[in-house]
This record gives sequence, C-alpha cells and structure tokens, in this order.
Amino acid sequence: MRSAQRFFSRWQNWVGLFLVLIFVVAAVAAPLLSPPDPKHPGPMKIIGRATLRMPQPPSKAAPLGTLSNQASVYHALVWGSRSALLFGLSVTLISAIIGTIIGMVSAYFGGFVNSFFMRLTDALLSFPIIAAIVLVQQLISIALYNGGIRIYTQGAILQLPSGEVIFDPNNFPGMMNFLLDLDPVLIALLLLSWMPYARMMNTMVLRIKKTEYVEAARAVGARHFRIIFKHLLPNAISPIFVLAARDIAGMVILQATFVFIGFGKGAPWATVLVYGRDWIYSQGGIFTYWWVFLPVTLALIAFGIGWNLIGDGLNDTLNPRFH
Amino acid sequence: MLPFLRHLVRRLFSILLTLFITTALLYATVMLTPAETRAELYMPKNFSPRMTEAQYQAMLERNIERYHLNDPFPVQYFFWITNLVQGSWGYSPTLQEDVLTAVARRTPATVEVILFSILAYLPLGLISGVIAGSKQHKFSDHSFRVSAFIATSLPPFILAILMMAFFYINLHWFAPERISSAHSLFIKSDDFRQVTGLLTIDGLLNGRPDITLDALRHLAMPVITLAVAQWATLGRITRASMVEELHLDYVTAARARGVPESRVVWTHMFRNVISPAFASSMVSAASLMTGIFVIEIIFNYPGVSYIALRSMNNIPDAPAALGFAIFSIILVLLLMSILDLIQYGLDPRIREKV
Repeated sequence: MRSAQRFFSRWQNWVGLFLVLIFVVAAVAAPLLSPPDPKHPGPMKIIGRATLRMPQPPSKAAPLGTLSNQASVYHALVWGSRSALLFGLSVTLISAIIGTIIGMVSAYFGGFVNSFFMRLTDALLSFPIIAAIVLVQQLISIALYNGGIRIYTQGAILQLPSGEVIFDPNNFPGMMNFLLDLDPVLIALLLLSWMPYARMMNTMVLRIKKTEYVEAARAVGARHFRIIFKHLLPNAISPIFVLAARDIAGMVILQATFVFIGFGKGAPWATVLVYGRDWIYSQGGIFTYWWVFLPVTLALIAFGIGWNLIGDGLNDTLNPRFH
Repeated sequence: MLPFLRHLVRRLFSILLTLFITTALLYATVMLTPAETRAELYMPKNFSPRMTEAQYQAMLERNIERYHLNDPFPVQYFFWITNLVQGSWGYSPTLQEDVLTAVARRTPATVEVILFSILAYLPLGLISGVIAGSKQHKFSDHSFRVSAFIATSLPPFILAILMMAFFYINLHWFAPERISSAHSLFIKSDDFRQVTGLLTIDGLLNGRPDITLDALRHLAMPVITLAVAQWATLGRITRASMVEELHLDYVTAARARGVPESRVVWTHMFRNVISPAFASSMVSAASLMTGIFVIEIIFNYPGVSYIALRSMNNIPDAPAALGFAIFSIILVLLLMSILDLIQYGLDPRIREKV
C-alpha cells in the first residue's frame, strides 16, 4: 500500500497515467469515436472522392484532414491507438514472460545451465533487430517461393507445378496465406527482446537464491516448481515491470520506424506518415500540409512519454535504493 | 602492459564465442530451408547469371554433394563456417554480385556515419551529464534535464523526417545521400585516390577540401539524428551516477582537503561515473547499429543498409540476408570493443580488477 501511495504522490506519474489513459480510451471506444466504413473496415477510411489526389484540409467528415488517398487522418489516429496498444502490450508481455522464465530457471539451477543460457543471452544482445527482420523476411520469401507463390507489386499469384496459375488469394493453400500475412517485424521483436528481462531476472534470482527463506523452503523439501514460482518470482519480479513499461513505448516506436521504411505491416500511425511523406518533403509542405504528420507524430511522442513516465515512476517506487 | 594484454585476450575470446553462438544460430535458422536453398549459399564469386536452368540445377546438385548439405547440423555448419572464414559469402541474385564484395564496398560509408556519431555523442553526453550532475538542481541541470527529456521522447525517425523537411527541402543547408552529383563522378574516377574510403578524410588527402566539406554536409543529418538520441541517453545515465556519487565519502574528503571543485569533479568523480555510462552504451550497441541502418535508409545514404533494403523485396536471397546479419553482428562487436578500449583507457579500476 505504501508503494501505491508513493506512486501517486508524484505529479509525473499522474501525467504518465493520464497520457496512457487517453490511448486506452481511444482504443476501447474506437468504434464510437470514429465508426468504421462497413464496406471497408480497417484503419484507412476513405472519405469523399479518391480522384482528388491531394491531402484535403480538416473538414466536418474528416476532423483532421485527409491523406492523398482521401483516408481520414482522425480515423487512422483513433484506430492506430488500438493497434499500437495491442502491439506494444502483446510483444512486451510475451518477451517479458520468455525472458523471466529463462533468467529465473537458469539462475535457480545455476552452474553449467546458468552459464550456458547467459552466454546465449549475451550473444543475442549483439544481434541487431534489423538483421533479424531481414532474415525472417527471407525465410518467409523462400518458403513462399518454394510453395509456388510469386509476388508482384499488384499482388501475389500461385503457380502450380502443372503450370496452372491461381490468381485469387482465397484459393491459395491456408499455409501460404498465413505466410503472406506474417509480419517479420513482429516475429523479430518477439525473438530478440526477451534478453534484458532474462539478464535482469538472472541477477535478481542469483541474489535472492542465497537468502535464508529460500534455503528454509528447500530444507523442508519444497519442490523446484514451488520454490521458483512461490518464493523467487514474487520477490524478484518488480524490476521487470519497470523494464516492461518502458518497453511498451519502445516496441511501438520501433514498429512505427520499420513500417515507415517499408519493412513491416500494420501500424496505422506509421502508414499515415508513409502516405504523408511526399507532402512533408515539399517546399513549405510541412506548414501547408501539417495535418498529414503532426497528429500522428504527437500521438507517437505522447505514447512514448506516457509509458516512459510510468516506467520512471515504477522505478522510483519499486527500486529499494531510494527508500 | 601485462594487464592490458590479459584484458585484450579475454575480450577477443568473448568476441569469438559470441560469433560462434550467433553464426550457429543463424545457420540453424537456414537449416529450416530445403537443401537446394542452402546450396545457393556456395555459389562462386564469378557466378554467371546467364546459366541455363539445367546447368544451374547441376551446379546446385554438385554443391549439395560437395558441402554435405544432407548431413547433420555440425557437419554442415563446419563447411559453411570454413567457407565464410575463407571469404566466400556466396553470390546474391538480387544484388547481382558476390555478397562479401557488396558488403565491403559499402562499409566505409557506414563506418563514416558510426565514427562521426560516436565522436559527436560520446564526449557531449559524458561532459553534459557530468556538468548537470555536479550542479544538481541548478539552472544548467534543469536545462539539461528538459532538453534530454525532449531528445529521448522524440523518436529518431520523426526527427529524421523533420530534419529532411526543414534543413534539406526548405533551407537547403544539408542534403541526403553521400556526396553531391557534381563530385560523385570525380570520386569514382582514377584521379581520386581511395585511401581510407572515408570521403571526409580522402578529400583532405587528395587536396580537395571542397569534397570533405561536401561529404560533411551530407553526413550532418544522419549524424545529428543519431547523436541526439544517444547523447540524451548517455547524458542521463552519467548524470544519475554523478548524483549518486556526490554524497560519497571520498568526495567530501577531497573537498575537505581543499581540492578545487573542478578537480574533484573532473579527476576524482569523472573516472567513477564512466563505467555505468559505458556499460549501458555497450549493451545498447546492437540497437545503435539498427538505428544507424534505419537512418541510412531514411536519408538514402548508400551504406551497408542497402543490402537489407534489397533483401526485403520478396525475392529469395539467403546469401545476402545471412551476409548482412553476420556483417552487422561483426560491426556491433567492433563497436563494443572500441567502447571497451576507451573505457579501459579512462577508468583505472578495470586495469586493477584483473
């Protein structure tokens, strides 16, 4: 209880909570805030005639203007917060669980197991994410190519060994559609973001393992499973929350970055920037077409600040050094 | 001298171990593909793309036979790694050239970005962190904290977009890519001696300071984008450890002895706050590398990232993807070693720890 009091006594934490709450509300109430187009659901809602080919300034139908393809920026902003939260939370949760388990179990058993897993962790720490994305994309491409899929700018076709060609993606084998929809950024992030958690957990558990209450639990014959999850985990987990809160923002920003340079899919916020890029990169365009980049940029920055403030607050609250 | 050698040997051993683990993992992922794909990893340097289909198939068969591609993992890994060490990284169908040649040709451009960003952010981050920490709660501390907070909150790719819009499109101060088209022909000609491959230094060596200036004009945006985020992170960590250090006994003792404040800060405390700052820099070396490649792509800078960009085109190209991965790991390890050596030079405690 005292830590909750500590947490709420700092105004920075209130700001962080408030910022995050905005995105949570936008994510939950997205269908109310900006009803989707029943014919084309998704973060890109086309407003008006697509033949205009110019970003249109804010109007009643599109409160934050439109992109060059006449998609509403406001709609993408609202639905983008849903996908950003979903992406950040799920990637962070999965990598935190993987890292926690690896770090904890290897520290508990110690000796050779520990040095093996920590060597692996350290080695993977020097593996840049961008290389993993390229590698995952190549594995997908190779699997698709060997399965007979040929990808062109207009879409994919399936070439059967008999020479027959299938154009409709609905008639592809399920496996091929699954591979076509895979996001290399998501997979690479899942594979390569658990290491900080493992290291953190490892040092914590190695320290706690030697304390008397763990010795006592072992002396009365508690099983490994019980000691790990009943005694070690609750006492070592707090720094994990700090890392995770900061990681949620980091993952979303990383995803947006990779979508912006064309390496990933999803991330409506970054897609808005991709559509807006040519208009930002024009003489005076950054002032004329402010709505193609300013709303999503502010959203990304606020999302990052919000989670980082919460992370800092948790760090102050949970870190024993400051008590 | 002896402790330094020991340190170096230990460092080298850990680098080799990391390389072994990562390459083994890389090859393990490649094992997911059929043997024909793995056979493409062994295409020779002088491979001709004009081969007929039958000749190509025969070549794949020969490679499968020769490099034991149907054998268990350790055998295959051994053949692959010996080949890599001997310098044959395979032929890339998308780049239409040998992977190692393609990587080596683009390395100096990437090294130039890394070098200038380190030169920019390392001293700035350490110095501003130390100053802010030693003047806790004063004006310089507050202004540092506010600007570092803004710098860390601004995602680097957003900063890159803004820089492009302001400094290139509207003001024409800086430019994307690596060199102006007016100079690029001369640089490719025989009159321009390539000594280091770094245009800023080669320009001076060739007696053409205008080329150096032009290269700097093109380097400015990537370097500033990278340095801003790195400076803020490094400065914040340095400041935090400085604040913790302020109330320790040795600081009070030095002050009581009448040691001037600047000497207390820069000789006594500075060496103690270096280690945490460098430790965090080394842990984040891989994400710095990712950042460098991303920034290169955004600014159209012709570095090693070009290979990653081309490998994302849905065309099967295992040699290029593997080559890029291995090369970027090597760059990360080099970056870590450089930071380690600087830390070794600055922090006396490491020398005694051995």
